[in-house]
Amino acid sequence: MHRARERAGDDRLHDAGDCVMAEREAEAAVADTLRRLAVVFADFEQRLEATPLIRKLTRGRFEVADYHAFLINLRQQVKDGALWMSRAASNIGEDHLELRSTLMRHAVTEHRDFRLLEADFTASGGALDDIQSAPKNVGSEALSAWMFHEASKPDPFGLLGAMFVIEGLGSIKARPWGLKVQERLALPDEAVRFLLYHGDNDAEHMKEFEEMLGMVLPDPFVAERIVTTAKVTARLYALQIEEIAA
Amino acid sequence: MSELRDVFITGTGAILPGERIGNDRMEDFIGRIGGRPSAVGRRALRWNGIEGRHYALNTDGEPLHSNASMCADAVRAALDGAGLSLGDLQHLGAAATQGDYLVPGHASAVQAELGAGPLEAFSYQSVCASALMAAKGAWLSVRAGEADVAAACAGEFSSRWFRPHFYEGSALVDEKGRVRIEADFLRFTLSDGAGAVVMEPRPKPEGLSLKVEWIDMTSLAGRFDPCMWAGSTPEARADMTSAWSHAGPAAAHAAGAVALLQDFDLLKIVIRAWIGVWLEKVDAGRIVPDQVDHLLCHYSARSLRQEIVGLLESTAAMVPEEKWFTTLSESGNVGSASIWVMLDAFMASGRGKPGDRVLCIVPESGRAMIGFMMLEIV
Repeated sequence: MHRARERAGDDRLHDAGDCVMAEREAEAAVADTLRRLAVVFADFEQRLEATPLIRKLTRGRFEVADYHAFLINLRQQVKDGALWMSRAASNIGEDHLELRSTLMRHAVTEHRDFRLLEADFTASGGALDDIQSAPKNVGSEALSAWMFHEASKPDPFGLLGAMFVIEGLGSIKARPWGLKVQERLALPDEAVRFLLYHGDNDAEHMKEFEEMLGMVLPDPFVAERIVTTAKVTARLYALQIEEIAA
Repeated sequence: MSELRDVFITGTGAILPGERIGNDRMEDFIGRIGGRPSAVGRRALRWNGIEGRHYALNTDGEPLHSNASMCADAVRAALDGAGLSLGDLQHLGAAATQGDYLVPGHASAVQAELGAGPLEAFSYQSVCASALMAAKGAWLSVRAGEADVAAACAGEFSSRWFRPHFYEGSALVDEKGRVRIEADFLRFTLSDGAGAVVMEPRPKPEGLSLKVEWIDMTSLAGRFDPCMWAGSTPEARADMTSAWSHAGPAAAHAAGAVALLQDFDLLKIVIRAWIGVWLEKVDAGRIVPDQVDHLLCHYSARSLRQEIVGLLESTAAMVPEEKWFTTLSESGNVGSASIWVMLDAFMASGRGKPGDRVLCIVPESGRAMIGFMMLEIV
């Protein structure tokens, strides 16, 4: 996309100058927003570390029952994730078709992930019916309601902030958590696939994320909305983990 | 109420004891646990990129100095550099990860080594960031008009804690004689030395001084367990009632609660927390990366630096690497003293010119803390 713009300006000096300026402006806006999102994520990670469940995991008092509670509660958000993403995509207007396509592809990739989670649950000794019939906890209810609410708005670009938080969790936290769970509970790979698999795959997603930001920035209102949405999502996500009895 | 005064660093001093010890001779000084060379030492050195360091003990483990005496020498050097004498000193802030005594505080030991008369003395005990705690105390004291000459010093004598008897006969060594990596790694990371700065309400009449613009400290201890600590076992460190002082010295040693330890999994998380604080300051405009001419960042390992750089570049928060000044590879990681060792070498290097802004950053893994100090060369 960048290259196409540069070529268009080759024969017209002023346009070329404008294009280069616009591109720099876009890059600066993406960097600014990424920085603000990184601050949100740092705070989020610290809150997560301080939740009773994660403290149990890091301090070595984590039991199979805790892992089961973790999976049961994660499932709600994972199942809803692809759904709000599809809804968000369907509310993105014609001016941002590329972003719409990206979100749709994303939703397709992830919409069966909750089955993997269920498989981990049963492989670690849980009964399928227990994970499928469990109600959402208070945090999951709030998180899910918030996501669908945002996704129902026209051009819901703020949800990129939510994606940053959730993808970040996948690329940064999932694998170390998975390894720790495995080590503490001596579980086979088949019982921690969801956590391990996410860590393996989500690094690519962050690159894709930068590109998605470039599709909607620079726009100060959008940038603000992205950061705000990230903050709310992070707070509710942490609440979801806090609510898991530990 | 009187107005706040500007404050200037008018002298710096650094003490690196003994000769420079290359990687090949390290274990002659810190010793070999169970008589065997370390299995992780080489890996640790690759990771931290340190090629030389100094130890305040000889190959028999006998001390050549104390922590307090190195600090006193550094304060003398800083006073000399400022053109002042000991009698001018009114405020002494002394920092260390571990002083020579458990009680009383490090500052009184440094004052005694200096042979200084009555003055205000403050001890700061934490890991690396304690250097900037002492600096902030000295800065505020001069700024408020409470003192006209204040010194902040920091020293480490880590090597004595790395000698084999700190580990042998404890739970840190398994039945095959292997030491836990949490303990062994630090033995190849930290070394000895001291550094100091002198602060006054006006610049030195001749030569360069450094105006202290601000010092910010952020501790995130409320959100993390200890990441680098001594006084508890890795398993029980979140439980304060299990600390060494409760068990008593002999039982604590046997449990492995006396040696200095590091949690590497947690360290990765703490690094992201430090970067978060940095990015927040950039975002708030407290730090403008383009306006920093020299960056003196105390980082414990070269590999950490690479990890940090990637994120800073993508968020436009990076200070270009050609502006970074470090002494890590040649004189090692001297804990709290590192920032003063670096600042002293930086001032001697001739790289700084009047008007340049120098940013010092000291992240501390202890329990997730980070300090920043902005200086302007005048």
